[in-house]
This record gives sequence, C-alpha cells and structure tokens, in this order.
Amino acid sequence: MPVTYRLAKDFNVAANIIRAQVAPNQIGTLLVELSGDIDQLDAAMEWLRLQDIGISTLSREIQIDMESCVHCGLCTGICPTEALTLDSETWQLNFARSRCIVCEQCIPTCPVQAISTNL
Amino acid sequence: MRTIAEINDKIQRQQAEVWTVEEVKARTPELGIAEVAQRVDVITTGTFEPMESSGAILNLGHTDPPIKIYQCWMDGVLAYAGFGAVDLYLGASQPAEYGGAGDPDPSDGTRDALRSPVRRRGGGHVIADLIAGKSVQVRAIGQVTDCYPRASLETTITRDTINQFYLYNPRNLYQNFIVGVNGGDRPLYTYLGCLQPRLGNAVYSNPGAIAPLFNDPYLDVIGIGSRVFLGGGIGYVAWEGTQHFPLQKRLPNDTPIGPAATLALIGDAKQMDPQWVRGCYFSSYGASLMLGVGVPLPVLNEEVVRRCTVQDSEIVAPVVDFSIPRRVRPTFGLVSYAQLKSGRLTMDGKTVRVAPLASLHLSRQVAIALKQWIDAGKFTLTTPVAPLPSDRTFLAQERISSQINLE
Ligand code: SF4
Ligand code: SF4
Repeated sequence: MPVTYRLAKDFNVAANIIRAQVAPNQIGTLLVELSGDIDQLDAAMEWLRLQDIGISTLSREIQIDMESCVHCGLCTGICPTEALTLDSETWQLNFARSRCIVCEQCIPTCPVQAISTNL
Repeated sequence: MRTIAEINDKIQRQQAEVWTVEEVKARTPELGIAEVAQRVDVITTGTFEPMESSGAILNLGHTDPPIKIYQCWMDGVLAYAGFGAVDLYLGASQPAEYGGAGDPDPSDGTRDALRSPVRRRGGGHVIADLIAGKSVQVRAIGQVTDCYPRASLETTITRDTINQFYLYNPRNLYQNFIVGVNGGDRPLYTYLGCLQPRLGNAVYSNPGAIAPLFNDPYLDVIGIGSRVFLGGGIGYVAWEGTQHFPLQKRLPNDTPIGPAATLALIGDAKQMDPQWVRGCYFSSYGASLMLGVGVPLPVLNEEVVRRCTVQDSEIVAPVVDFSIPRRVRPTFGLVSYAQLKSGRLTMDGKTVRVAPLASLHLSRQVAIALKQWIDAGKFTLTTPVAPLPSDRTFLAQERISSQINLE
C-alpha cells in the first residue's frame, strides 16, 4: 500500500522514512517521522488505524553512551538549556533529560561521538 | 630529605607513602608543608586531554618477498614511510582519506561503513584501535629495488602481529594553555571544539592546578628519562617537547601565564590500555588523540610539596579571541582556573558559559591509578639523566608571515 503517498496526498503530511523493513506479502515495519498540521496528523493517524496498521509513537530522544563518554565537558558549553552539565564534585557528565529540547547541537560537538538519538 | 633511591627502596617494600596532588592540596593547609614533606614520599599528578602532537612508530615485520614501503595507509590513514623498509610513523591528527589509493575496496561491502561517522576518523583512532587489540587494514606501495622486489602489500595487522609499536609524541603535557572564545559573528570550528559567535562560549583545555607541570613550574624534579604513566602503560620523558617555552611570563608564584613548557614522551603502546588512549574528532577541525598521562613527583625536599600546594585560584590562562585569523590574537586578559572551573565568565558585561576540554574526572583518575601502581610496588621512579632546557625562546616563521602581512 502506498502509505506515504496517501499521507501526503490526502492529509498533506510529510513522511520522512527513517527505517523500513518491508517485504512483499509480509508484515513489515516502517519508522517514519511525520510532519504536518496537527489536526491533519491526527486524521492521518486515524486513517492509518482504519487500514489495520498498528501505530506506536516514539519521540526523538538524546542518548549518551556513558561507556564512551570521557567527561571532557565540551558538550556542556554548547547545550542551550543546560541539560548537560558537569558535576562540580566528581566532574562527571550529568544529563537532565527533562531539560533537553532535542536540538541535537551536542551531537557533532562530542569528540568521541558518545551522543546520538534513539532514532 | 630523601633520595630517589631511598624512595624506590620503600616502593619495592610497598612501604612508600603516596598521595595524589589533590590530597596534598587539600591536607597541607592543615598539616603544614614540613609535616607533609616528612610523611609523603611521592606525589602523583595526572591529566587526560587531547594531545594531537602524538603518534606511533610501527615496524610491520618483513614480508616474503620483502618490500621497501614508499607510501602506506592504515585504515585509510596515511602513515609516514620515509624510514627503513617497513618502519612507519602514524600521526594522531592525520585524517583518514577516502577514494584514494588507501581507500578500502568498495566492492567488499565496506562502502556503507565509510559513511560520515567513520569519516570522522584519523590516526588517533587507528592508534587507539590497535591498542584496543583491534585489527587494522594496511595497504602499502613499495619502491621496487633489487633487495626489496615487492611492489605492493595488502594485509591486516594487530598489535600482536607487528614487531615494535610505541608512541613517540613530540609535544605532550602543556604546562598551561589558553582559553578560546569567538568575538566574531559566525561559529568557529577549532582544536578547542566549536566556539560560538558573539562570545557564545569559552573553552579551556588544561586541567589547571592538578595538571602535572603546574606543580613543578621550573621542572626541578622532572627531566629527560623521568618515568611516567603514559596511556595506561609505562613511558618516559624523551626530550623537551616541540614549542617548549619555559621563558613564558610567570606570576610571582612562578607558574606561567600561558603556554610554557612541553614534553616529548615515549612509551610502549603494546602495554597501553584502551581506557587511557582514545581517538577523538573535532567537528570541522579534525582528528586527535586523547591520552591519559601521569607524572610522579618525588618529595626530595619541602620545596616539592610547597610547589604542589598551588590552587586553581592562583593560576591563570589568557582568554584568546579566535575570530582574528592571526598568529598573535588579541586577548581579553587573564582569568584564573578557579573562575574557569566555576563554569561562568564575565566578558564585555556578558556572562559566558565555560567548558573544559581536558577531562577533569579522568585526569583525577590517572593520578589515582598511578598512586595505586606505586602503592603496589609496580612502578618505581627514575633519576633524570639530563635536565630539560630552561632557556628556550619561542621562534616564529617571521619571513613567511611578513610575506602575507596585511598591515
Ligand atoms: S539536544 Fe540540545 S538541549 Fe538536548 S542535551 Fe543536546 S544540546 Fe542540550
Ligand atoms: S562531549 Fe562527549 S565525551 Fe565530552 S562530556 Fe559530552 S558526551 Fe562526554
């Protein structure tokens, strides 16, 4: 089924495919980022459910691999919301997820590529 | 007070009293210098920071038929081959090349692996991979001679399949450095990471009062031949480092107000530990190597302890504006490390966020690891065989710069 085509044509919703696992005549999964008018997004999701497509939503989140992190602190000077800070006692990196706005500026900053998103 | 031989004797009996430099700074105000000097035999210091003037010497071992390597790439990173047949030098900041003769064959499925995250690699990553026991692809072109008939070589090596693999780092352990800011209006990508426009952030790269050379400002107890902790293995001070500048201006407490002494270090990479040797990459700048280096300071007299009591509030670094593309950049004056470590700085009436680049956490862990080695009797001290020069001036390429002089 041309799902992404219908989303665009009928609901004016842009679907950016992040990952796809689809084979002919089999159940597949599609990870897409949808953007569009909020009401149209709701309508698009409703339509998807009517087509018997199971949907689960996921929001983009920052992930920090603490095994690779060297606690250099470079990301703490870039993060606009101070979600990333250094503990002033241990000098280890702290990540306050609730403050993170997922602007992703920290990702290219990290010299050891310890920061990524879940998608 | 005590000699290095006496200290080593105690270390071998596991009776030496070893403190980290942080313990000395914390406890001396209460105990007094004389008391600490009586009790403590060795003070350990450490740092963990990017040290791009690092590199590895490798000897691959001879192939049959033998090859005289003319050009060589290791995982796509060019290694210098201008030595005897299979001797190579791999520099930490040499970037990986793609599409060139050193590029792995795209038909073998590695093309996907060459997408952007892997492109952000260089010699530092290859060195760190070898130290971590990983295998590395070698492609070499030979200069065919009567004694070295082979024209090319393609193979895979690990640290166990090559003869020598040691780091020889021409410039490590800066005694103080600078603080970078950007007074311009576009982001700058530098060896200090991204400097955001309009004084958006400030980055400093020296761990301050815990850094090894801040605690021995005139290198009184460190010299050529001093044994050190290098990347989790044993290393030695080989020479003065490049750009060694002991004549830098100093505060009344003898600490330099900017980049000063540097050391060249050498050590067997086969013994090193991946925990303390990490490849790194600065966005739009390039690859480097983060290294843990620890220096033991023998308490030969009270002066050694007194030097180690220096605090972050008593040492300074210059704040340098990178938006001026010149060798001598304007500075915004000096700032103390206590101020830098507070994470905030006021400049032009504006509060600027400050981030370190050296890992203060891992710098501290290096000093602790070295202390544990000495406590366990595994690491003894050496007497330097020669002092490091104390009178080097800092020369610049004046002739070249005068040709592009815009003034
Ligand atoms: S994504 Fe943005 S807000 Fe979140 S931690 Fe990274 S820099 Fe901070
Ligand atoms: S920049 Fe990377 S390594 Fe440095 S503290 Fe942040 S996450 Fe850790």
